[in-house]
Amino acid sequence: MFLANPDRFLRFTRPLTPALWGLTAVLLAVGTWLAFIAPEDYQQGDTVRIMFVHVPAASVGLMIYAVLGVSSFFALVFRHPLADAAARAAALPGAAYTALALITGSLWGRPMWGAWWVWGDARLMSELVLLLFYIGYMALRASIDDEAKATRAAAILGLVGLINLPIVKFSVDWWNTLHQPASLMRANGPSVTADILAPLLTMMAAYGVFFLAVWITSIRTEIVRRRVLTLRARSAHEA
Amino acid sequence: MIDLDMGAYAGFVWPAWAISTIALAALAARALIADRRWNAELKQLDTDTDAARAQTGQGLLAPKTRAQAVRSAVAPRK
Repeated sequence: MFLANPDRFLRFTRPLTPALWGLTAVLLAVGTWLAFIAPEDYQQGDTVRIMFVHVPAASVGLMIYAVLGVSSFFALVFRHPLADAAARAAALPGAAYTALALITGSLWGRPMWGAWWVWGDARLMSELVLLLFYIGYMALRASIDDEAKATRAAAILGLVGLINLPIVKFSVDWWNTLHQPASLMRANGPSVTADILAPLLTMMAAYGVFFLAVWITSIRTEIVRRRVLTLRARSAHEA
Repeated sequence: MIDLDMGAYAGFVWPAWAISTIALAALAARALIADRRWNAELKQLDTDTDAARAQTGQGLLAPKTRAQAVRSAVAPRK
């Protein structure tokens, strides 16, 4: 609640934002280096290096929707303007991450599965539905001129989309899919060797911090944008 | 030792990394350009407003009023 005040939010995030951008650069550099010194996988060969960009995009893309959903809830129930700005700022990075997960997954699937895309696969389809929710959210916002109405409609859509999150996460357990089951978040620990796990976790951290940097920068921009629009309206009224 | 020889999988590995790099760079550029643009706009608007108020003798916008403007600016329009 401390950061719910726009003034306080701007003050608090002013030094935080460049720090996040700096940390992103370091994590991406280290993650990329680790990704290309890691040994080939005994089954996947060099295609395992696609996993270092695919898994972070997919997992962080899923988390971003949770951020969008929770922000939408606060925007809808408490009508908090910062929550609306937070939901809005999460949509584009979330859509980009999900699209990246689908594209890089397809580039991995062709040599490993022998197919770019499998229509009957529950993980692939639920991930595609997630991308459609992101696109729908942005399209809905853009299609309504009245900002209050756009906020309300988009927030409802954002909340409905939350239903899809457990479906994406557990699709590999609930249905018999071509997509492999979870190999990191398992009850008895990750099934990935340390050589592969180190670059994977570093890249996941890089994608996560990168999202935070883009998200907070965009929320700050949204506050400033609304302030500019208010001041413009005020000076037009005074004139 | 860095291994950049992707062998038979080069046609899949490099496009995946290239697309990811381009997408992240585009997201970063978009966020930073928008931030710079709107902050420049606000600075310009503040300067114009202050100049106009000084000319008309209304005085500068008090800091408290500026803070209120920030708060009112993020409130949803009725």
